[in-house]
Amino acid sequence: MFYREAGQFKTTYAADQALFPIRQDRYAMLAIVAIAFVGIPLFSSNYWLTALLIPFLVFSLASLGLNILTGYAGQLSLGTAAFMAVGAVAAYNFQLRIPGMPILLSFVLGGGTAALVGILFGLPSLRIKGFYLAVATLAAQFFIPWLVTKVGWFSNYSASGVITAQPIVIFGQALDTPREKYLLVLCIVALMALLAKNLVRSRIGRAWMAVRDMDVAAEVIGIRILRTKLIAFAVSSFYCGVAGALYAFAYLGSVEPDGFNLDLSFRILFMVIVGGVGSILGSFLGAAFITLMPILLDVLLTAGSHAFNLNLEPGVTSMMQLLVFGALIIFFLIVEPHGLARLWQITKEKLRLWPFPY
Amino acid sequence: MSPPAGHVMLSVDNIALSFGGVRALSDVSFDVREGEIRAIIGPNGAGKSSMLNVINGVYHPQQGDVSFRGEMRRRMDPHRAAAQGIARTFQNIALFKGMTVLDNIMTGRNLKMRCNLLEQAIYIGRNRREEIAHREKVEEIIDFLQIEHIRKTPVGRLPYGLQKRVELARALAAEPTLLLLDEPMAGMNVEEKQDMCRFILDVNDEFGTTIVLIEHDMGVVMDICDRIVVLDYGRKIGDGTPDEIRSNKVVIDAYLGVSH
Ligand SMILES: Nc1ncnc2c1ncn2[C@@H]1O[C@H](COP(=O)(O)OP(=O)(O)OP(=O)(O)O)[C@@H](O)[C@H]1O
Ligand SMILES: [Mg+2]
Repeated sequence: MFYREAGQFKTTYAADQALFPIRQDRYAMLAIVAIAFVGIPLFSSNYWLTALLIPFLVFSLASLGLNILTGYAGQLSLGTAAFMAVGAVAAYNFQLRIPGMPILLSFVLGGGTAALVGILFGLPSLRIKGFYLAVATLAAQFFIPWLVTKVGWFSNYSASGVITAQPIVIFGQALDTPREKYLLVLCIVALMALLAKNLVRSRIGRAWMAVRDMDVAAEVIGIRILRTKLIAFAVSSFYCGVAGALYAFAYLGSVEPDGFNLDLSFRILFMVIVGGVGSILGSFLGAAFITLMPILLDVLLTAGSHAFNLNLEPGVTSMMQLLVFGALIIFFLIVEPHGLARLWQITKEKLRLWPFPY
Repeated sequence: MSPPAGHVMLSVDNIALSFGGVRALSDVSFDVREGEIRAIIGPNGAGKSSMLNVINGVYHPQQGDVSFRGEMRRRMDPHRAAAQGIARTFQNIALFKGMTVLDNIMTGRNLKMRCNLLEQAIYIGRNRREEIAHREKVEEIIDFLQIEHIRKTPVGRLPYGLQKRVELARALAAEPTLLLLDEPMAGMNVEEKQDMCRFILDVNDEFGTTIVLIEHDMGVVMDICDRIVVLDYGRKIGDGTPDEIRSNKVVIDAYLGVSH
């Protein structure tokens, strides 16, 4: 009833190709932007900002990066955390070694460095696909954190390779409160999400999906396979690299290379699977879900154990988390491979017809 | 229909292709003239699809040459073939399953689009104009093939006959000079076949596109084609107009005669 496109006629292709062709979607997006930029900074506690919202945004950006590579271009990668590490370490070194380096430029260059490394590890994709390619990206996942720990120069010879991110200063203004950091991360993530959306609805996005769906046909229609894949690796790693820089600079403050481990790569892969493979919105939904779920479960279990007077050992809650986690992943893999984004789309289609069944 | 007197656009000479021990093509030569509809027929496994794959560079023959518009090459990559104006459809539909009809057809415009990655990321400005210009061209093709009603549908949800039509649309979007169709009517009902025949004739007529098509339905082939090549066990056993093929003794024995 409320979600209808009736009466909204598109008279030009320009209108049909707009970001949000349906009016209700535009309003919804405006509302989300208003909440994110005004509502949350006004009303959120520091705990919420630092423990939930900033990591949510950083993980959204990383899963967006992985989604470009895996969801759109169809190249499975298990090296997400490694590319994040490259971004973090590179941004740290640009800040450290070049006096007067603007921090935003460091983030961009960190992303750029990750893109180069991504291209390097994407080269095997010329020859190998699927599972085998995932194993090749696994090489990046083990090699890069090892290298950063081994070569002291990367962390400026700190103990065990820990990187202590420099304070964020923009135009002489230090951003040190959680609110300021949140807003900075939000601006970067929102901008990059918009750019990603533009890419996937342009020529390169169609080329990525074509290569993913049927590479021989893509080649025959004139798409250069290797180039298209390498661009996907580059763009994806750029996103992961910036996410890694934000992870270090705006979220944790100091990170050890081992923090960018296979666990983190899998977490981000789960976000993509749960949120929706091949969907920008899905990257955000997945990140929200996986960041919030453990906390929600915790609250539920604590409340439950109080209500029923159970004396749960501390280990049980984290066990339960893992269990629910695993069950959900399996559910999404089997029942809804297109994740939350697809569920949302189905809801919209239903809403369009509601309250009439046809 | 009389054979058109166009120039030779494509000629394949003494092509030999084998996969390990299997000889798919031996010493096959023929040519295709500007503006004609050329058929390749033959029993299953005769090497018809392999021939198309040689023409647009998916397979590399061990022997022989292909020359297209005066340019000779033995090793061709599909991308170069596409850039030179060769488009094709596949025997087993090769659409991009996860994309809408519109996006599938838009990939056909890929080679003609110029915006770089940064322009695409920013979108507004040059990229938007380019997207719209190509969308207009694609909409013409959508009109032409009468698939307006499904343009936003993911191709995976379409029935077989429509998928074949979308695949033709994608090939046409590249505005090819030479169009290779691998069994465009296989598995269709009579009505769908008639539609497809009409589209093929119209493409040939209105856009002047040269067409090479593989087809098992003899009625269709005899009706719409100017000249026919007959392959059997990887060898050419006949070449000529429908009338010549109909009265060719070797072809009748090997192919037309046997319960078709
Ligand atoms: N990629 C390949 N690898 C190995 N053998 C192949 C390959 N492609 C074709 N062949 C073989 O080459 C021969 C010719 O195959 P082709 O597909 O060209 O026949 P066709 O005339 O198109 O048959 P159909 O009417 O069944 O489509 C067959 O024996 C086939 O098994
Ligand atoms: Mg065949």
